[in-house]
Parts: sequence; structure tokens; C-alpha cells
Amino acid sequence: VMMTPTRDRLGPVITSLLVALVLSIIPLPEVVEPLRPYWVALVLIFWCLETQGIITLGAAFLLGLGLDLLTGSLLGMHALGLVILTYLVTRFRPRLRFFPPWQQALSVLALLVNDRIIVVWIVSLRGDSLPSASYWLAPVIGMLVWPWLFLLLDRYRGAARQRAHS
Amino acid sequence: LVRGDAVVGAKFSGQAALTARLMMYVLIAIVLMAMDHRGQYVPRLRAWADYLVEPVYHVVEWPLRALRGTWSYFQSSQSMLRKNKDLADQLLAQQSRLQRLESMEQENQRLRALLDGSGRLEIDYQFAELVDVDLDPFSHRVMIDRGQDRDVEIGQAVIDGAGVVGQVEEVGLHFSRVRLITDPNHALPVQISRTGQRTVAFGLGNTSRLSLPNLPREADVREGDLLVTSGLGQRFPGGYPVAVIESVDRSEGRMFAEAMARPLAALDRGRELLLLKNPTPQPLPSLDDAASTNPEEPDSVAPAAGQDEPQAAAGEPATDDNTADPSTADEAPVEEAINSEPAADDTTADPSAAGETSVDEAASSEPPTDAAVDEEPPADNSNEDEGQQQ
Repeated sequence: VMMTPTRDRLGPVITSLLVALVLSIIPLPEVVEPLRPYWVALVLIFWCLETQGIITLGAAFLLGLGLDLLTGSLLGMHALGLVILTYLVTRFRPRLRFFPPWQQALSVLALLVNDRIIVVWIVSLRGDSLPSASYWLAPVIGMLVWPWLFLLLDRYRGAARQRAHS
Repeated sequence: LVRGDAVVGAKFSGQAALTARLMMYVLIAIVLMAMDHRGQYVPRLRAWADYLVEPVYHVVEWPLRALRGTWSYFQSSQSMLRKNKDLADQLLAQQSRLQRLESMEQENQRLRALLDGSGRLEIDYQFAELVDVDLDPFSHRVMIDRGQDRDVEIGQAVIDGAGVVGQVEEVGLHFSRVRLITDPNHALPVQISRTGQRTVAFGLGNTSRLSLPNLPREADVREGDLLVTSGLGQRFPGGYPVAVIESVDRSEGRMFAEAMARPLAALDRGRELLLLKNPTPQPLPSLDDAASTNPEEPDSVAPAAGQDEPQAAAGEPATDDNTADPSTADEAPVEEAINSEPAADDTTADPSAAGETSVDEAASSEPPTDAAVDEEPPADNSNEDEGQQQ
């Protein structure tokens, strides 16, 4: 029988995703703003890889809607991106999990670039102006951030688990 | 049935089910986006759902605000005193200017009463402060810290000390989103204050530029010309400074000249903003009104015809002498009238006369706010013109 997601498993997931949401609207200077890593996606990828049954497509969709509301973007834009991202991670989860770190980071880059392509496609359909070239640097930053974020979240999860058991 | 579904779901929880669910969510997302884009149902849903995400803005906003507060607390009293003195000086200068303007305003009011036009509309201001959050990078929007709780309404114009900033697009409980004039989807009806030429300024997605892509090739536009809101379109009251022309491209093979302008408002760094309260739309003097006043004053037609001409023919420098450009006629004569009272009778007839000669002109004298707020730019103008002559 599949275990139901208990509270101590859900806690860290929700907290870290909330932090990611906040990070994605915190003000940055205009120059570095396009370089902001897609925090929500990165955190989502981590939990999708490391837990089972929590990050469902529906959860990703709701999270995306939340992000849409928060950033005031077209409702469904981030939701679409995150659902596709979650689908890909879930689908290739067994392989992704046992990749060496650098290879995993490259997969993350591919996922983020794919997401940006979807966003650009939507934006161009809508007739908004296309983003500058630095927009494509954000996935690279995301890839560079990934190993450190992975370590950080892994530690955080371990600490949370210990606290729950003691 | 529900239970049956669950069992089936469990059995098919392989790749196929995952893909099926993916398709479902993709479909929902696409439908949502299409509906949001077209403004069907979704905006209302959004307005409601915005309440849910508002706390996150507070979370982001609070520490930054606290930080700024502490920072200003620790600023040396020396620099505070200096700043205070600067501000006091500035206030004095502005006040002396304001006194002059106030008398002009009364004058103007009286002349308008003579003209039988409706009185000017008082425009109310409301302070607002920028909220430090970064929204969707594809559109130029900002958050302000006033919402439904302070009666902010969709469509209100937002300005800062220097010029027009944008308009309120979505209103939340304690926050509102403002679309900047530099947003690629924003178009602002403007007027070149020197010549009265009307056009539309489009955003380019760059906080330091606006584009005026459809000026007539022979239009009289120069570097340094001031753009003010024209008051057409009813969103922005007329006469507020918007931008300064930076370059004009009249290259061959184009239907129109394209000008680039630099917005005056501190779009990327301003924090303090003013919301203009929409004046309750009073019965505007309609085109019929403007036309109907004409037959009573036939002698006014001649000057009006004269005014209309130069605007189309791109005012020669020769027309630049004393009364500024004739095409600003709907403002300039009033200026003159203020200086010399007896002239009032001839000149006040002009705006209505202009109304008769072309629909375009009539539109300018249509919103009372337009001319009411327009006092300032022409004043600057005539000064400039004098300066050129000397």
C-alpha cells in the first residue's frame, strides 16, 4: 500500500515552494532581473525527484496558477510550463535520479530551456514583445544553481525528518 | 461511480494515465489562457483569486519596507537637514509659481463661464507608493500599495512628479497593478505641446523610450519637443507632461515619420506616485454644442480657418512668432486673454470656432479637463518662443 503523504513529509515541500514563490517576485535591479533563476521550477524538480506521490501534475498546475496570479501573467502560462516540466521529470525520474550530478544539472538546463521555449511561444502568440537575449541566460544560471540548491534542500529535508522523528 | 473511477485510475496509473492527465491539464491551461487573453470570465475569477496571493506580497514587502525605514533612521541628521532645506526651497519656488497659476486659473474659469462651457473639473489626487515586487517580465507593470480599500478604480491615471506613469489595470484589496506607458501593449494619446499636433505614443518595452510611429512625414516635430496627454480617449486627463522627443526619423520610403521620445516620469526608479481620481464624467460639451455656439459668432470663423491650415501644412518657422504656434490656438489665445483682459471677447470664441472647422479640433476642446489643465505647458512654450526670438 502506498503511504499517504503525511504532514512531516508535506511540510518541507510546502515551505520550500513558498520560499521559491517569494524569491520569484522579490525585486532585483533591472540589469540582473532577466537572469533570475526559475526558483519555483528548480524546487519543484527537486521534490519531484526525491519524493513520490506529492508532486502530481495537479499540484504542479495549481502551483503554476499561483505563480501566474502572483506575477500577474496570463493565467495558465506558468501552469502549463510547470505541468509539462513535472510530466517530463516524472516520466524520466528513474533515470534522472541516478545520473551523476553534472549530467543531472544538464538535464535541468534542458528542462528549463524547454520551459522558456513554451513561454516564448505563448508570449509571441499573444503579441507581446519578445524578451532580450539575456532571457536565455536564466536557464544557465538555473543549471549552475542546481547542485547547490540540491544539497541545500537535501539537508533541509534531512533536518526536517529528524525533527519529526525525535 | 467515484469509487469505480478510483479503481480504474489505480489500474491505469502507468505512462498512459500520466500522459492522459498531462493532456487534460494542458488543455485546461490553454483554455484558461485564451479566456484570460480575451477577457472572458477569467478576469473576474482573477480579481477574486488575487485575494489569495496578496499575503505573499505582504511577506515580500514588509522586510524591505522595514529595511528602508531603518536606513532612513540611521541617515545622518546633517544630510536630513540639507535635504529638508532643499525641499523647503523647492516648495517656496513652486508655491510662488502656483500663486500665479491660481490667478490664471480663476481667469480661465471666468472666461470659460463667459464661453458658456461647463466649469473645469477639479481633479483629485491620491498618494500611492510603489510596492517592491517584480511582476511578469514580459509586460511593464508595477504594483502600488493602494487598492479597493482606498477606492482605487480600474483605469485611473497614475503620474509622478515629472510626468505620466501609467494606468491602473487590476485592483486588489490592498494593492493594484499599474500598466506603465512603456508597456509594449500600451498606447497613449498625446499632443505635441508646441504645435498641438495629436498623435499616439506607444510603449516599446523599454523604460526609457516611447515610439510615435505615425506622425505625418511633414509634421512639425523637433528634438526637445514636449509631449503632453491630449485628453482624448478619456483615460488620461489632458495636459500632463509625458515625454520629450529625442529623435525623429523621416527616412525615405516610409509612409510616416517616426519619432522616439524619452518619458519624463521616473519609471524605473520613482517610488512616490499620484493617482488621479477620475473626475465623475460630467456632461461634456459635445460636438453639437461646440458647433451650435458658432453661428452666433460668425466673425470667429476667419481666424479659426487660419489656425487650422498651418497644422496640416506643418507650421513654417515663420508662424512661430509671438503667439506661439497657431495650431495651439485652443490654448494660446486663452493665454493671451489672461494677459490682456479686453481681448477676452475675441479670443475666447476660438476654441468653439475650432470645433466647427474640423472634428479633430472639436475633440480637443471637448473634454473640459483638457484645457483646464493645459495652462501650464503653453505658458512654458511662449517663454521658449520668446527666448528663441531674443
